[in-house]
Amino acid sequence: MMSLMKPDMQMDVSFYKVEEIRHLTDETFSLKLPKARFAFKAGQHISLGIVGGNQSREYSIYSGENDENLELLIKEVDNGYFTPRLRKLKAGSMVEVHGPFGKFGMEPELAASGKFVFIASGTGIAPFRSIVHTYPDIDYRIIHGVRYSKEAYDREEYAGDRYTLCTSRDKGGDYNGRLTGYLKTCKFAPETQFDLCGNSNMIFDALEILKGKGFDRDQIHCEVYF
Amino acid sequence: MKYHLITLGCQMNIADSERVSSVLEGMGYEKTDNEEDASLLGILACSVRQKPIDKVYNKIAQWNRWKNKRNLITFVSGCLLPADKDKFLKTFDLIFPMSELGQFPDMIREYGVVTPAALKSRQPIMPKNEHIAAMWHIKPKYQSTYEAFVPIQNGCDKFCTFCAVPYTRGREVSRPSSEIIDEIRHLVNQGYKSITLLGQNVNSYGLDKNGEEITFAQLLREIGEYGKTTEEEFWVYFTSPHPQDMNREVIEVIAAYDCLAKQIHLPMQSGDERVLIKMNRRHSMDKYRRIVADIRELIPQATLFTDIIVGFTGEGEAEFMNTVAAYEEFKFNMAYIAMYSPRPGAASFRWEDEVTTDDKKERLRRLSDLLKIYSHEYNELLVGKTMRLLINGTDRKTGFSTGLTEGKIIVRLDHHDDSLRGKIINVKITSAANLSLSGEIV
Repeated sequence: MMSLMKPDMQMDVSFYKVEEIRHLTDETFSLKLPKARFAFKAGQHISLGIVGGNQSREYSIYSGENDENLELLIKEVDNGYFTPRLRKLKAGSMVEVHGPFGKFGMEPELAASGKFVFIASGTGIAPFRSIVHTYPDIDYRIIHGVRYSKEAYDREEYAGDRYTLCTSRDKGGDYNGRLTGYLKTCKFAPETQFDLCGNSNMIFDALEILKGKGFDRDQIHCEVYF
Repeated sequence: MKYHLITLGCQMNIADSERVSSVLEGMGYEKTDNEEDASLLGILACSVRQKPIDKVYNKIAQWNRWKNKRNLITFVSGCLLPADKDKFLKTFDLIFPMSELGQFPDMIREYGVVTPAALKSRQPIMPKNEHIAAMWHIKPKYQSTYEAFVPIQNGCDKFCTFCAVPYTRGREVSRPSSEIIDEIRHLVNQGYKSITLLGQNVNSYGLDKNGEEITFAQLLREIGEYGKTTEEEFWVYFTSPHPQDMNREVIEVIAAYDCLAKQIHLPMQSGDERVLIKMNRRHSMDKYRRIVADIRELIPQATLFTDIIVGFTGEGEAEFMNTVAAYEEFKFNMAYIAMYSPRPGAASFRWEDEVTTDDKKERLRRLSDLLKIYSHEYNELLVGKTMRLLINGTDRKTGFSTGLTEGKIIVRLDHHDDSLRGKIINVKITSAANLSLSGEIV
């Protein structure tokens, strides 16, 4: 039996050779892929598969729109199926990328004029790094909640007064405690736009705190990872 | 040469199937409802739930067994997830996205099937982004003589976590407004009475064109203006809109033109803020409430339909009660209520499906009870009124027929006359039931 695979069945699918794996912590690493012609908007995500495998997962893009590489931030899941396999990839391994997908992100005109607070837990910082790389002049603050201070992925890239690390399991953060505890102490300008990304419990709690501070729900934008 | 086509899923697939029929009949194929008579067997698949995909697997297994006895060509198109596509490549003879429907005759020609159309020159190879436009150029073979679906947009950029459609239909692409208006003019001139504009996010129309195409509100206005120029009575609906892209201007336009039906289907999915976030719906309940307030203010006679999912991951009793409260607030005329089931390909597939089936069934029952209460309450208000009714069928009860009001409420008539099918007539509402009305011809 013969099957015809018309070219568009491959729509949005690209195969990439892994260029580099950056190990950021024992559990977290980034995959650097050649950007080639892959066009995306900062904040979008892709679906990643290993060539020859039968599964894929969604990851926010960690690099900026104009960066040399397409980079993804990945945390290995204990006893997971997919991420341990990703971690074993080497430079030269082939992966499959579908996308880009999603509307979470930044409009260029808004980036030029708005005031933003990016609130992330763990690897939820990925879309915000992409936005900051893409719009280096953007008026932003990042509030990043992690367990340990070693999880402050690439914090040296952000100006000191724009990045606040909240650590819940060690004393190495700018704030020692949960992100939401820090958020309660913050004051923000009324016109601030908030972008939240990470686990749903953090997002729900942060949303209530911000609403409690009088911000309109329409000023708060959310991307749930799990 | 005969073909048999199975269409699964939503109205988008029905509209697509009308174009598939048009292409095949243009090649000289004749449609048959009996698959055993056909030499070309196809399915337009749906990936929204597992059941229709299971049906595709069952069908192709059966058809491939038939191949031992006779020559057959099989094909599949429609909404397909990558994992299913890979498997179907090994079992179907032809697999193609709907955007490549224009190339379908060439694909069949590859099998050596000679038809008058096969003797014509090949379709030119087009750039990828022109395929969907070419598909829309294909004139559909409408299944009805009074009700038609007009695709105006394809694809989805919303990425609700419970849904895999963005991964099957691709990005949002809007059809040129001039084509849409032409198709509507043609339909109205042919006597069509009910025309539904279709899109996965129908009111996101034009947003993909970055200002080079009119907006959804402007498209409705153009249709409304056309409606004013014709003596024909017709109703234009649209489905499904996304609350994120709904605005007051759309409601104002619907209010301003007679031919724009006073019925709005506005999927809510959940009345709980947290569940909406987890569903990645990108609208708040405040936003939804504002839209409904605009509808009630500007089109008080409009009926309001919705979609709700019960038992989504993270929906505890408290969250469900927020949906109940929202239902009681909005008093929907109709709600399509579904129990959540994880769908391969959707983001939520890997999340724990933590609500038990019994709880989902119970929540479905509770919302269904509310649906009956509020629908009945509304229907009672219509008793004694004279309404326009589009006669669309024969009731199960002998001697009765059925129709739909402009607001899409079902009316049963103690009268049957086949010549009235597809006509809009006056009826007086005589009684109300939970989900329907009874009436008599005036």
